[in-house]
Amino acid sequence: MDFFNRYKKTIIAIASLFCLCLVFITAERTAPTFVETGVSYLITPFQKANTAVSEWIGSKINIIKHLDEVENENEKLAKKVLSLEEETNRLKQMEKENKKLTELLEISQKYKQYPTTGARIIAKDPGNWYDIFIIDKGTKNGIERNMVVLSSNGLVGKISEAGYNYSKVVSIIDDTDSVSSQNTRTEDIGFVRGDLTNKGICIMEYIDNEAEIIEGDEIITSHLSNIYPPGLTIGYVKEIYSDLNTLTKYAVVEPIVDFKNLETVLVITQNFEKNISFDVKQENTESKPFDVETTSKADD
Amino acid sequence: MRYFITSLILIVNLILQSTLFQYIEIIDIKPNTTIAIIVAFAFLCGELPGAIIGFAAGLLQDIFFGSYIGMHSMLGMLTGFLCGKFYIGFYKEGLLLPLSLTIISTLFYELCFYILNILIRGNMSVLYFLRAVILPETAYTAIFSVIIYKIIYLINCKLEERERLTRKLF
Repeated sequence: MDFFNRYKKTIIAIASLFCLCLVFITAERTAPTFVETGVSYLITPFQKANTAVSEWIGSKINIIKHLDEVENENEKLAKKVLSLEEETNRLKQMEKENKKLTELLEISQKYKQYPTTGARIIAKDPGNWYDIFIIDKGTKNGIERNMVVLSSNGLVGKISEAGYNYSKVVSIIDDTDSVSSQNTRTEDIGFVRGDLTNKGICIMEYIDNEAEIIEGDEIITSHLSNIYPPGLTIGYVKEIYSDLNTLTKYAVVEPIVDFKNLETVLVITQNFEKNISFDVKQENTESKPFDVETTSKADD
Repeated sequence: MRYFITSLILIVNLILQSTLFQYIEIIDIKPNTTIAIIVAFAFLCGELPGAIIGFAAGLLQDIFFGSYIGMHSMLGMLTGFLCGKFYIGFYKEGLLLPLSLTIISTLFYELCFYILNILIRGNMSVLYFLRAVILPETAYTAIFSVIIYKIIYLINCKLEERERLTRKLF
């Protein structure tokens, strides 16, 4: 105690420097250290339980809040059920027809080709700056760093750290990470990253100044990324601006995933980062620019 | 006993912050109860315990939610140390001093965090972040700090009574 009192300023200064050094050392690490895994292993079950309790309380509060609305809605829904039943019958027939036609066209289904595993979100970053959350599956379920996280309708983010029974997910609305992306209509390339000044909204940067991007365009992951597989939906363009400094355009993209009410996610348990060198040949033969070249040569 | 209870408080706080507090957001802002706890302990126990508790609380947050380790630990430690300066010579019963300390600490903590993490990456809109993140968070934390200080004050009193009995100083 006396020792601390005598040298307290030096001690605090050295400790601060030590922390800063830790920042630089740990910034580049690829896997959590054993200390982190140990502590997280102990606390994760509590977070899991507490999330369940909080959700239960939240749902009970919601029931009381919306009791009047429920009655009105019930009447409306009863009417709707009748009309929908009619429609389902009609659609079932169409589905059969559709199946036959797709088989004929040999359209591969986008998402079904990837092996996925479902996971629950058990905790979110307590700070107000970043959008990092924790899911209840880790290396014991075959999850690795840089695997891709989806929701039922679009891209959520990627695994930034996989522990034994937990994984950290960095979402696409976090501004520390960006996704190489592409406009489905015009195939213009850009980078989507989160926006701190506008929570829950993404920005697509570095779009070519002559790109014909318009509001409502669908943005998907591009074939240039070595983490994300191509063709996953990110969101839709909301507004477009041009950046006078860099002579590029940037678009405000509204993500298709509702990050506010996200509770379960899907993780693709296939690491595209490693497989990229093996898949290059196959992908090249499928992609369009090569096809165009070969046909033009054939014409000559 | 003191170590056990303090670490229990820190862990329970982290679990609550990452789960339950997600449901009590106001304008997308969550209260930062960690700072309130660090300030309360530093004010009640002194510089060294304040710095250690701040470091531990920050380290926990770093381990769980940081992409690198050390940022929250350092800020937590500095907050604890600086608030510990008010340990000697102030009455512990009043609420005004811990409340204003929490407000100043939250401003200090979040401003430093902004400078070290966001500004350094080239995002210059200081005024926006002051208005949208730092000030609302300070206000929200201040409300919570009153309750937290009361609880920790009571716990500290109980612990001091126990320690007095075991040590037989008087």
